[in-house]
Amino acid sequence: MRFLRFLTREFLIHGVVFAVVGTVALALLYLLSIGAPPENYLEAGKSFLLLMTGAQDFSAAHPGFSAGRIIASGAAITLPLALASLLILTLIAVCGASFATTSRYLAVRHNQKGGLGSSRALGAMLGALAAVPLFVGFWVLANGFGSEAPFPLIALATVVMGGLGWDALSFLRADMERQLGTTYAEVFSTLGAPLGRVLPLPGTLSGYLFSSSLPGFIPYLAGKVPAIIGAVTIAEIVFSFPGLGSTLLDALLNMNTDLLLASVFILLCVNAVVAFIVKSILFLVYPRWYEKAV
Amino acid sequence: MKKPYRILFWLLVAVLLGPLVAAWLPAGSLPGFLPVDYQSSLLTAFRQLSITLAATLVVSTLISLILGYVSVLSMRLGRFLSSVLKAVESVPSILIALFCYAPVAVYLAKQASQVSELASLAVFIFAATLTVLPESVRGLAIPLGDLYHRKYSLSFRSYGFSKAHILSVLMKTDTMLAAVRHAAAGILLKTLVLDCSFGFVIQLGFGSYGTPAHHSPGALIAANRDALFEGGNPLLFWIPSLVLATTSIAFLLVLGQKKDARS
Repeated sequence: MRFLRFLTREFLIHGVVFAVVGTVALALLYLLSIGAPPENYLEAGKSFLLLMTGAQDFSAAHPGFSAGRIIASGAAITLPLALASLLILTLIAVCGASFATTSRYLAVRHNQKGGLGSSRALGAMLGALAAVPLFVGFWVLANGFGSEAPFPLIALATVVMGGLGWDALSFLRADMERQLGTTYAEVFSTLGAPLGRVLPLPGTLSGYLFSSSLPGFIPYLAGKVPAIIGAVTIAEIVFSFPGLGSTLLDALLNMNTDLLLASVFILLCVNAVVAFIVKSILFLVYPRWYEKAV
Repeated sequence: MKKPYRILFWLLVAVLLGPLVAAWLPAGSLPGFLPVDYQSSLLTAFRQLSITLAATLVVSTLISLILGYVSVLSMRLGRFLSSVLKAVESVPSILIALFCYAPVAVYLAKQASQVSELASLAVFIFAATLTVLPESVRGLAIPLGDLYHRKYSLSFRSYGFSKAHILSVLMKTDTMLAAVRHAAAGILLKTLVLDCSFGFVIQLGFGSYGTPAHHSPGALIAANRDALFEGGNPLLFWIPSLVLATTSIAFLLVLGQKKDARS
C-alpha cells in the first residue's frame, strides 16, 4: 500500500502530471503572449498528443521532426549529463563534509588542528569557484576542448561553478557537525571506531553521522535537480551539443511552437525522471522518512 | 562574530560590491587601454545590472514578506502557496526566464529604446521574482512559524492578542531581521546568476539583436567571447567576468555568514 502511494504521488503526480501540465502551462503562456490565432492552439495540442504517442512526424506545421529523435537527444545528452552532475555533486558534498566533520572532531577532542586548515581551504576554494559565472567556466572549457569536451569534465564544471557544490557541502557539513554534538554521536565516538576521514563508510564515525544526516540530504538533492537541469541546458547551448537546450533555443529562434513544446516536455520529463530516481532512493532506504518528508 | 571582525566583514563586502557603484562614474574614468565603445558597453551593462538587482530585490523582498506573513497567518493558504511555489521551483529558472522573455522579444525590438528598456526590465523582474520566490518565502515563513509556536508567543496569545498582531510584532525581531537579510542575499545571488546566464544564452542564440534592451554583463561577455581566441584581447572577456565573480563572492559571504552562525 505504501509503495502504491509512493508510485501514485511521485511517478504519476510529480512525474507524468507535472511534465504534462507544466508543458501545457508554458505553451499556453507562450501562445497567449505572441497573440497566436485559435487554430494554432489546436495544432499545438494535436502535435503534443502525437509527440506523446511517439509519432514519426509529430509536427503538422514542420514535418520532419521525429518525436523519437527529440526524445533520443534528451536521453543521450541531457539525462546522462544531469545524472553525472548529480553523482559528482553527491560525491563532493559527502567526501567534503566527512573530511570537515572529522577534522573538527580531531581539533576539538584531540587538539589536532592540521585537518581543520585543509578543510577550511577546501571550503574557500569551492566558495571561490562558486562565484565564477557558470557560462564563463563553460566557455573557457569550450575554448580548450571545443565540442569534444568530455562529459565528466562538463558535469564537474556544472557542479563546482555556479555554487551547487559549495551549497551542498555547506548544507551537509552543517548537518553532520550538528550531529557530532549529540549524545549518541559522543557515545559512538568512545567505541574506538575509525574516523572515515574522506568516505563515510559503515562502521566509521563519519559514516555514523552521515547515516543520521542522509534522510535530510536526499530531499535536499531532489530539490537541486531543476538547478542541475538548467545548468546542463546552458552547457548544451555553449558546447553546441545537439541536446534539448540547443533544440529549445532553436525553437525560440525560429518561433517553432511544435518544437518548443516537444523540447520543453522532454526537458521537464528528464527533470521528473532524475527527481524520481532521487526520491526512490529515499523511499527505499528510509520509507518512514519519506512519509515524514511529504 | 566579534565587533572588529564584523566591521571588517562588512567592509570587505562593500569593497567587493564596489565595481557596481563604480559603474555609475563618468565614462572617461576607466583605464584608457580599453576601446571607447567597449568602455561604454561595460558601464551600461553594470549600470543595468545594478538597476535590475535593486529593482528585483525590492519587488521580491516585498512579495516574500507578504507571502511569508500570510502563509503563517492562514495555514490553509500557506499550504496552497507552498504547493504552487514548489511547482514553480520544479521548473529550471533559465526556462522560466526564456519563456517570459521570448514572447515579448518582438514587441521589445519594435518599441522606442526607453519604452523597450522599461518593458524588458519589467519582464525580467517578473521572471526573476518567480524563480526566487519559493526559496525566499520558505526562508521567511519557516522562522516566523517557529517563533509563533514558541513559549513567549503562547503567552502573547493568553493576553488575547490576535494572530495578525503577534505576527507583526514577531516580524520585527532580530531572528526575522537576520532571516530577511539572508533571504535578500539569496535573492540578489539568484538574480545575478539568472540575469547573466540569461543574457549570455540570449546573446549566444540570437546575436546582438536578441537583447535589444537587456544590456546584461552576461550578454557583454558573450559578445566578447571570441576575445579568448588567438589575436583577441582577453581582457574584454575577463574584466566583466572578474567583476561578476567579486559581486557573487560578496553575496556568498553574506549567505555563508548565516550558515556558519546557525551551525
